[in-house]
Amino acid sequence: MRKLKLNHTSISFLPIIVCIPLAYQILINFHFGGFELFQEFIISAFNPEINNEIIITVFKRLNQTLVIALFSWLISIIFGVIFGILSSNIFYKIFNIPVFFYNIIKFFLTIIRSIHEIIWGLVLMQIYGINFSIGIIAICIPYIAVNSKVFAEQLETIEDKSFDAINQIHGPKFSSFLTLIWNRIVNTFKNFGLYRLECAIRSTVMLGLFGIGGLGTSILLSFQTLNFRELWTYLWSLAILIILSREIIKKIKFNNLNKNLSILLTAVFFTTILFTFSYFLYFIFNSSSVDFYSINSLFKSSSDLVFLDFLKLIIDTIILSLLSTAIAISLPPFVIGIFNNNTSRIPIRFLAFLLRLIPPPVLILTLLTFNNPSLSLAALTLGLHNAGITSKLLFTNLDSQDKRNYIAMKSLGASKNTSWLLGLFSQQAKSYLAYCAYRSDIIIRETAIVGVIGSVGLGSQLQESLSSFAWQEVITVLIAYSIIAIVGELINGKIKTSLT
Amino acid sequence: MKNILLELKDISYVKEKNLILNKINFKINSGDKIALLGKSGSGKTTLISILNGTIKPTKGEVKYFNKRYKELDVNQKQKITTIWQDLRLIEGLSAEQNVNCGLLGKRSFYFAFKNLLNIASFKRAHKYMQSCKIPQSIYSKEINKLSGGEKQRVAIARSLIQESEILLADEPFNNLDPKLITLIKKLLLTHENKNNIQTPSTGLVSLHRLDLLDGFNRVLGIKDGEIFFNLERIKLKKSHLDEIY
Repeated sequence: MRKLKLNHTSISFLPIIVCIPLAYQILINFHFGGFELFQEFIISAFNPEINNEIIITVFKRLNQTLVIALFSWLISIIFGVIFGILSSNIFYKIFNIPVFFYNIIKFFLTIIRSIHEIIWGLVLMQIYGINFSIGIIAICIPYIAVNSKVFAEQLETIEDKSFDAINQIHGPKFSSFLTLIWNRIVNTFKNFGLYRLECAIRSTVMLGLFGIGGLGTSILLSFQTLNFRELWTYLWSLAILIILSREIIKKIKFNNLNKNLSILLTAVFFTTILFTFSYFLYFIFNSSSVDFYSINSLFKSSSDLVFLDFLKLIIDTIILSLLSTAIAISLPPFVIGIFNNNTSRIPIRFLAFLLRLIPPPVLILTLLTFNNPSLSLAALTLGLHNAGITSKLLFTNLDSQDKRNYIAMKSLGASKNTSWLLGLFSQQAKSYLAYCAYRSDIIIRETAIVGVIGSVGLGSQLQESLSSFAWQEVITVLIAYSIIAIVGELINGKIKTSLT
Repeated sequence: MKNILLELKDISYVKEKNLILNKINFKINSGDKIALLGKSGSGKTTLISILNGTIKPTKGEVKYFNKRYKELDVNQKQKITTIWQDLRLIEGLSAEQNVNCGLLGKRSFYFAFKNLLNIASFKRAHKYMQSCKIPQSIYSKEINKLSGGEKQRVAIARSLIQESEILLADEPFNNLDPKLITLIKKLLLTHENKNNIQTPSTGLVSLHRLDLLDGFNRVLGIKDGEIFFNLERIKLKKSHLDEIY
């Protein structure tokens, strides 16, 4: 008997089998209690509320969201570059600094990256209270670490040969260093940094759902009052904001910088650093009296976590990550492959856009109208949201791909679906899986969001511990989250390396 | 008596258990124009990397201006310039920005910053680019968009703008047409200060084409990491070449 041999294409489809047990559990938990509400939610999407009052509110909320997102983005990009440089080996090589510091900075960034901005937000809100600045700080902490990782990865691709060539000119070390890294930094900023603004907008909305203000808070309030028409007004305005930001970013070109623009960018760079430091110091000293009381209680509080229960929460979180990742990987090629015609592509793209647009907490709350809370429902929510993101990438890559193999397959008499699978998707499968491995890192962190709302895994425990100011428990949960995320990142790193 | 600029004493280099260079001894005197001949993989590039201090020999000693590499100050290190076989230009920068990189050793950090922002002065760079016959239309073109020959001349201009005393060049005539080879060879081997362009007085150039030996005063033959001959060019015979090829 021949051995089963898996290739990249089959691995992309195989995880779809998790949908069988998921569908079973969701069917068992199905109820018609809130089905009418769900219907109303869907219908309201095409009939959002539009009047003077809500338009004024939308502009106010958009303004708040944009301010938090812009500041978070700018600070996290600038400090992402700085920490990216500090965590890249080329910096230590040029300045002859012991590698010990490189390892310490890398470790520190890995730890803070492993915790999602929502968790940072929840913890900081509990310590410092609801505050506009908390939104910026909560986003900036993990974003700086994520950005620095991407910048460092790019800097580490600088070849030793280039290093030797510039080093041979024997200029000041800072000159050689800047010349070597400049192009990588500018390119990474163009290809990745600008896109992070969209992420910052989404994260701000998500934090708003937990009370930080802006569009997210309005979405939450509309949901709580079951005012779905109003909810969709906010969601569509979010969509417009995201599309607008994307289009503006596309228009920005850095190829022909003139003198004034160069000076302006340099001024923005240094002003932001100065402003951030001053604000950080102000924030720390200004709110010290309240905070130290809360931080002291960390050592006074006790933990009621039972080991086995805690272990179950950890296992639930891991299963949640795995199931969501499986859906995010296999659902897009499965659906696009089956409905492989021009007419079906438009609704699929629209659905994927909606799944990306609706924040996971709102999505899970909507699904909860006709289903009981369960791990399967949380996995489906997170999986669908991320499938919206992976499908966007898949569509973009498929659109730009050479169609010759597809035409060749069709000329051999293969069906449209088979031709798509073997002539188009099979060439994308490897890079698609590599992206999914990266996405999986994010999914692991996002389990916290659905966990908090959907009462699943460590997220639910975190919410409970935070509400009761059980700081020891909070720390234990955070450590567990961190370990899961770091182990996940290591495994995904190996997978990415083997795929690229 | 001629002034010794570089001296290699019993140099050996081992990489991953392979002996790349074996007991190399020779001197480069001031004003020498040395052609380094040898088959591909004979150790020419490694020898040049040892001469410019990029790699440390496993055994032996290299003397630069009668000093060890560690003892040299920055000004002395700047007296050596290299044209690399693989050019090693900075991607993403324009041709003129790349040539300006050659000035990093003589200018401040502020200059490097302005160069990257494309707001530095390119006057000097343009002079050297002109002398290397780089067409004006490609001065501001990104390096990745240039042809092999254009890139080659940008690398040469970057090296010459350093105005060093010693030139180490690893197959610098690759990708160039016969007319350009004659011109660039003249530029590299004729030490003169014309139109404010200063070229190195001493040079070691690795070559593959024997018809380009004209203009060199000495020839160094290398085979399997060992020096087979080190003689004046006029004494070079066919038998010498048969030994190394």
